[in-house]
Order: sequence, then structure tokens, then C-alpha cells
Amino acid sequence: MNKSLLWRGILILVVTILMAVAFWPPKEKIKLGLDLRGGIHLVLRVKVEDALRSERDKVAERLSQEAQSSGGPGQPALQSQPLSPTSFAVTVPAGARQKILDVATAEFAEWQPDAQGNRITFRLKEEERRRLADLAVNQALQTIDNRINAFGVAEPLIQRQGLGGDRIVVQLPGVDDPERVKRLLKSTAFLEFRIVEGGPAASSAELLASYNGTLPPNLELLEGSVKDEVSGKAIGTQFYVVQKTARVTGRDLKNARPGLGQFNDPIVEFTFTHEGGQRFGELTSANVGKGLAIVLDHRVVSAPRIETRITDQGIIRGQFTQEEVEDLSTVLRTGALPAGIETLEERTVGPSLGQDSIRDGVRAGVVGAVLVVLMMVVVYHLSGINAIAALALNVLIIFGGLAYFGATLTLPGIAGVVLTMGMAVDANVLIFERIREELRAGRTPRTSIEEGFKRAFASVIDTHMTTLIAALFLFQFGTGPVRGFAVTLMIGLSASLFTAVFVSHWLFDLELSLRKRVESISIG
Amino acid sequence: MRFFQNANYDFLKYRKHWAVVSTLLSLLGLAVVVFHKGLNVGIDFAGGTQVVAQFRQPPTADDLRKSLAQAGLGDATIQGYGTENPDQFMIRTRLQGNKEEGQEQEIIGALDRIYNPGQQSPVDLNKAGAEGIGAMLFEADPLQLKAADITAARDAYGEIAQGILGVRRNVGVIRDWQQLSSAKGMTPEVLQALKQRSYVGSYAVLSREVVGPTVGAELRQRGILAVVMSMLAMLVYIWIRFELRFGVGAVIALTHDVLVTLGLYALFGFEFNLTTIAAFLTLVGYSVNDSVVVFDRVREMLRKSRRVPFEKLLNDSVNMTLSRTILTASSVFLACLALLFLGGEVLRGFSFVMTVGVIVGTYSSVFVAASFALMWENMVQRRRDRQAPAAARAAEGKPRDAKPREDKGAGERKAAAAGRRR
Repeated sequence: MNKSLLWRGILILVVTILMAVAFWPPKEKIKLGLDLRGGIHLVLRVKVEDALRSERDKVAERLSQEAQSSGGPGQPALQSQPLSPTSFAVTVPAGARQKILDVATAEFAEWQPDAQGNRITFRLKEEERRRLADLAVNQALQTIDNRINAFGVAEPLIQRQGLGGDRIVVQLPGVDDPERVKRLLKSTAFLEFRIVEGGPAASSAELLASYNGTLPPNLELLEGSVKDEVSGKAIGTQFYVVQKTARVTGRDLKNARPGLGQFNDPIVEFTFTHEGGQRFGELTSANVGKGLAIVLDHRVVSAPRIETRITDQGIIRGQFTQEEVEDLSTVLRTGALPAGIETLEERTVGPSLGQDSIRDGVRAGVVGAVLVVLMMVVVYHLSGINAIAALALNVLIIFGGLAYFGATLTLPGIAGVVLTMGMAVDANVLIFERIREELRAGRTPRTSIEEGFKRAFASVIDTHMTTLIAALFLFQFGTGPVRGFAVTLMIGLSASLFTAVFVSHWLFDLELSLRKRVESISIG
Repeated sequence: MRFFQNANYDFLKYRKHWAVVSTLLSLLGLAVVVFHKGLNVGIDFAGGTQVVAQFRQPPTADDLRKSLAQAGLGDATIQGYGTENPDQFMIRTRLQGNKEEGQEQEIIGALDRIYNPGQQSPVDLNKAGAEGIGAMLFEADPLQLKAADITAARDAYGEIAQGILGVRRNVGVIRDWQQLSSAKGMTPEVLQALKQRSYVGSYAVLSREVVGPTVGAELRQRGILAVVMSMLAMLVYIWIRFELRFGVGAVIALTHDVLVTLGLYALFGFEFNLTTIAAFLTLVGYSVNDSVVVFDRVREMLRKSRRVPFEKLLNDSVNMTLSRTILTASSVFLACLALLFLGGEVLRGFSFVMTVGVIVGTYSSVFVAASFALMWENMVQRRRDRQAPAAARAAEGKPRDAKPREDKGAGERKAAAAGRRR
């Protein structure tokens, strides 16, 4: 055996072993896509305009206060008018114009004022808008991450889509309850404790009547659900009049967890931070006997009567189910979202469908492989076996490569493997046909093999390149499963260059070196 | 076994006929898409909601359609999902206005009203997730575990819930309580609690997908871009590696393959989705392969002899590579056939494109690519001939033939050819 033959053999052996090690045991090493193992894929959009709007309102409010306090007694509050999420206008009394502009430049430098007569328009500067939007998305990402961690999903993927965008991609393998996940993720979870001034009542008109039809500016009308005592299902709506300001909110919570109430009913137990506890103590001691509305996302969850001063902890009871209690604790513990969230894309694959897909894909793969193998043996006899050995190594490299790169195997990816088997033999066919041609031209088997490989090489490269170009575009364009297909195809094509040209050539050389006299080769 | 060993067919003799036939086929393909059936565009590109459900006692598609229409989902498309599973159906609704949120709640709500009427419990064991079932069992506490250790109790009931889902994973849709008694960790007490607090619905949701208008429009745009860009990339690649005349032939063949396959795809009514685009891009790569192999041979022959007329050269090359063309097509065709019949519903459209595409692509690489390359060459030649006399006079009697036929990198290739010749 000559030296080059030995070294090439060793290289092939090393590659084989490396790939086998990378891929074994397949159950642990091959990462299955959501379409095969089941799970949820969500593309969420953070409504950054929400965050911008609330920033705008805050600034407008503060500007109005500043103007009022700097204008001395008798100065009326400024009326501001929102124009867009990033702009608002105020109409100012003739004499106060310059003063307000001065206040604005000093205090709200991020807002560009534009005065026309008595009307000043404020516009958020682009740079600041981008910063605020980015902040909101990052906060949302963090909150979502915390919530999913609390949910306990193995190997979740939570990341921003693209750079500087407002989208977040969430992938949860093995989870198949999309309604619950969406509820958990999209709940803004803005918790407030407010003092009840009136209600509950079955209709808003009934409550408004005691205020002569209009509420004073410090009060607000809120809705809550009436729940069935037994099933916990919402069976109606009731209304409360509550104070507009909330001195204690979800931000003052230190912890929240599910617990059991005195009748073994599911409740949420929470504890306050030190500072929050103090404020809650003040609030409760000043309002003993009144109702305390626990308001979540502007809906009254429950409104228990304040019996005594409470400082450090409390419970929320609202005829919850166990599931609701668990989710509510999670969202309270992980904090409120800075802005609302909407779903742009949602794909859920149940586990049974994933299992069917694996079965179908593997079955098609095995049958496809058997058909291709049969064809090669029938057409090329013993040389067909050579091609099959190369093909087997090719498939091994695809799976090894997938494991090595940590790429995901998807259902289209399995199709990619099957397709690669069909296409990988193309390189063998090109070379073998060429060898046959050379043999027909009367050359010896040894020369024919050398010439066959040499001459077919350009075609082999070209055919691989064109398919690779298509695969690259596919990778660029595709998402999820399709991307998995592109990756499989690319690994398969690279592997096929190696197996069809290098390995198959080595196998021929090995055969020739083992035989003393070579008068013919078995190539059909 | 050998095929076409000394093939010598005159493929190019009837090139004008092939050109007409192929153009007509392509136009026919286009016409089917545009005028006749249109593409069955799935939610990936059109946006919308798609739910796949498996029924315990499958209704007929007509019954399902009527019931859903009565429940207010008259515009829903209903299809049997998979040939082996007559109990599975796909229900699809279009976008509602420009709303991002999907209609999966409406679809499932309607199905519940029709097939699970009068159920009081919120927990359907054929739909609930493991977390939900676990929480419900924890609440009921049939094994009296809560008193001892709350956390351990939560874990224990979570395990049982996983066991119930394990049963569902294997059977698709749980048929009766009997089936559940085989679940991991199941005891008569637990089963009793399940019967009290939940029910076994008459269908299971296998998958649900919602694509909103924003993502739908993006995917549409990117899909078209990907196909167009990859075809351009092929043209450029062939232009660089070979010559423009081959590039033109290959891309015409390619367009032909895509259009004819697309027409057949529309005719059979398969859903056009992301995977379909993947299939078409793969087809683009494969189809160019076939043409490239022929052109590689032409280039090699050109190096050997410049005196053979281009037409004969092309025709010989097609003949010489014919056995390879047929064999490769057969191997890819066999693999695709396996995918088409055994690969399951999700891959059906993909496999169809590839299976049909291989046949169409093989035809086009033999009959279309070379024909158009030759016709392009002849056209260029005629134009050159018309301009040549004037050019010749200007160049003071330089022979017309001195101008090389190849206009790009000819010298380099000649050198390469000389280097290879022993």
C-alpha cells in the first residue's frame, strides 16, 4: 500500500470517527425543530408607541405643573392636546409664552418646542425617541424572559428580531398551550391599590347618579368581573368608583407567590418592599372601613374591606383557579411591561403531529435511500457499492455536521437529507459515466479512473456551486423550518464534494492497489 | 446496465419546434395560475389562521363546512389533512380586516359549540396543556398530598399531567377514559377527580398557526425576492464560469421549469407556502445543474476543436451527457417519489414540486437549454455579420473570422486548455 493511499485513508477514518462522535447518541445530539418536537413559536411586537405616549403624557402633565407654579397664584393649568405619540401642543396665555418656553428648554431638553402665536407644539427629538423605544423593547424582553423562566420551560429562545427593531421572537419547545402562554406574556400586569369610593354596582349609570352624572376629577369608574361562586367563570360585570391616583403599585412588591386561603381556595400572597410597606400602612390606616380595590391592568380584580392597618404583606383573593393564581403570581413577581404587546405570528405544533412528522420523514428517508442504493447497484454493479459507501458517509456527515454546528433538524431538513442523497449520487454518476467513456475509448482501468475523476471535476464543482447558491438564498430568505432545510442542504452539498470526489476516488485506488493485475473493473 | 451509450440523436434539428412547444407550455403554466385556478395561497403569504384538528368520530368535510358556516365561519376553507388520516382536517380562515390577531379562538370556540356541546368544565383533556391539567389536579388533590408538602404535591400532579399528555401524544386524540387509565402515574382516585373536573372532548387540536398581515406581507416580498435574486445569481454565475450565450439558455430553461411546475402545482391545488418556495429554489439549483453539465461538455469540446460547427458541438454534448442526465434525474426522482408518497402531509407540496420539477427540468436541459443557447448564438452571429462588412472596411481588410467567438477570457481559457492537453 503506498503512502498517499494510507494518509488519505487515515484522513477519511478520522472524519468518520469525528462525525460519529459528534452525532452519537443522536437523541441527545440532534436538536429537533419545533415542527418535529412540538412547541410554540411567537413573533411579538412591543407597542413602543404606548411607552412613548405615556412619556408624552407625563411630560405634558409636568410642564403644565411647572407653568402653573412659576406663574404664581391665579395661573390656570395649561390645556395640552396630544397630536401623535411623540408630540403634543399647548395653548398658552399671551404673557406666559416666553416663560413656558424657558421652562421647557431647561427641563425638557429632549422635546423640541415650536411656537406659533399662542400655540406651542412640542416634538420628541428623533434620537431620544429611538432611545426610549429601544429601552421599552429591552425592558419588555427582560420581563418576558423572567416570566418564561418562572414558567419553567426547558431551552426557551427569547430574543429581539433584527437590530433596533420592535420585535421579539419567543420559541418554547414542548409547550402546547398557546393561549396560556400568550396570556402570561401579554399581560401588562400593571397592579395598583386604590381606595373604593362607591360601588360595586351592576351598572355604571347607577353609580354616576350619586355624583349627578359626572365624576369629580380625582375619581374614576372601573370595571370588574362577577364570578360564579362554584366554577370561577366570569358571569357578569360590575362597576366601582375608585380614586384616580394609586399610591401603592406593583412596583412596591417584593415578592408574590401562589398560596391557599382559609377555605383551601387558591390565592396570591405578596410582600411589600420596606418603602412600599410604609406607604401601604399609611394608606390602609387612613381608610379603615373602606374598600381597597386591587386593580390589574385597569380592571378591578377584587375589592376587600380594609379591616386594619396593613404594612408588610397581603393576599389577593378573587375566586381564582389554581392556574390563574400561578400566572398572576408570576406576572406580579416579574413586574409590569413598559408597553402593550401584540402577536404578529404564532405557530403551535402539538406533540402528536411532531411525532407523526418524524415517523413520516424517517420512513420516506429510508425508502428513498433503499431506492437510490438499488439503482446504483443495478447500474454500476460493484462500483455502485463504492458510491453507496460514499453516500453513507455523506449522510453521517450531514448529521454530524448538524450536531457539530448545533443546527436544528426540521421536517423540511429531513426532506433536505433525502434530496441530498438523490443529488449526491449525481457527482458519482458524473464521474462514473466519465470513467465508462474513457474505458470505451480503450484506456486501461487505472488511467480511466484517473481521467474520469479529473475530467468530471469541473462539472462536479459547477453543479454543487449552483445548488449551493440556491441554498444560500434560501437561508437568507427563510425562517425556522425552511432555514433548517437550507442548512441541511448546504452541509449535504459540502459533504458530497468530499465523499464523491475524495472518498470515492480513494476507494477505487484502494481496490486497484489490492489487486495484482487490473484488467477490468466492475462498473456495469 | 447502460443507457444511451452511443447516443446520437439530433436534438437541435427541431429546435424551433421545441422552442415553440416550451414557450407554449410555459405560457400555459402561467395561464393556469393567472386565469384558471390561481394559486392556493396558504397563510404564510396571505395571512390568516389555520387550525388542524383530529376528530374522534370524523365528520365529512361537507358536514364540517356546514356546521362551521352555521357557527358564523362561512368563509373558512376546509380540507382533509393527509390521505392516511381521514380523521384529520385543516380549517383555514382569511385575515379579518387588517387585524394582527388571529381567529383561532373563534374556530376552536365554534368547534366546541358543535362537537363538545354542553360541557361545563373549562378543562378539555384533548386540548389542555400539561400545566393546566397539573394545576387542576393540584387544586382537586385526589391523592391528599397537599397536607404533607405543597411543592411535592405540585410536582407529583405535574408528573401525572405529563403522563396524560404522553397518551395524547401517542394516540393523537384521546378516545375515552379507558385509554387514560394506562397513563403514567394514573390511579383510580386521580381518574375519579379527572372525571369530576374535566372531560374528554371529541377532537384534539394538532396545530394552529396565525400569520398577521405584517408578517404575511413581509414573507411574500422576501419570497418573490429570493426566487428572482437566485435566478439572477444563476445567470451571473454561468456568465462568469461560461459565457453569456449559455447563461441565457440556462435561465430560459429555468424559467420554463418554474412556470410549468407552477402551473401544475396550481392545477393540483396544493397549498402555496414557505416550504413551496424552498422547493422552487431547490428546483432552480437542480435545473441549472442539468444545463451546466451540458455546457461543461461544450466548453471542453470547444478546447479540443474550434472547427466543429457550434450546432454539432452542442448536439454532441447533449448526447454525450445524456446517460448522466437520465441517471441523475432517476435517482433524484426516486428520492422525491419516496417523499411524495411517504413524507406526510406537511411535505406533500414540497415533494410535488421536486418530483414534477425533475421531469420538467430533465426535458428542458435536453431540449430547451441547448436550443435557446444555439438560437441566441445564431442571432448574435447574424447581427455580427450584418455589422461586420462595415467593420471590415474600416479595419482595412482584416479577415472577419479573426474576431474570436468568445468575447470573455478567451485567452485564459485557451491557456488552461493547453495546459491540460498532454
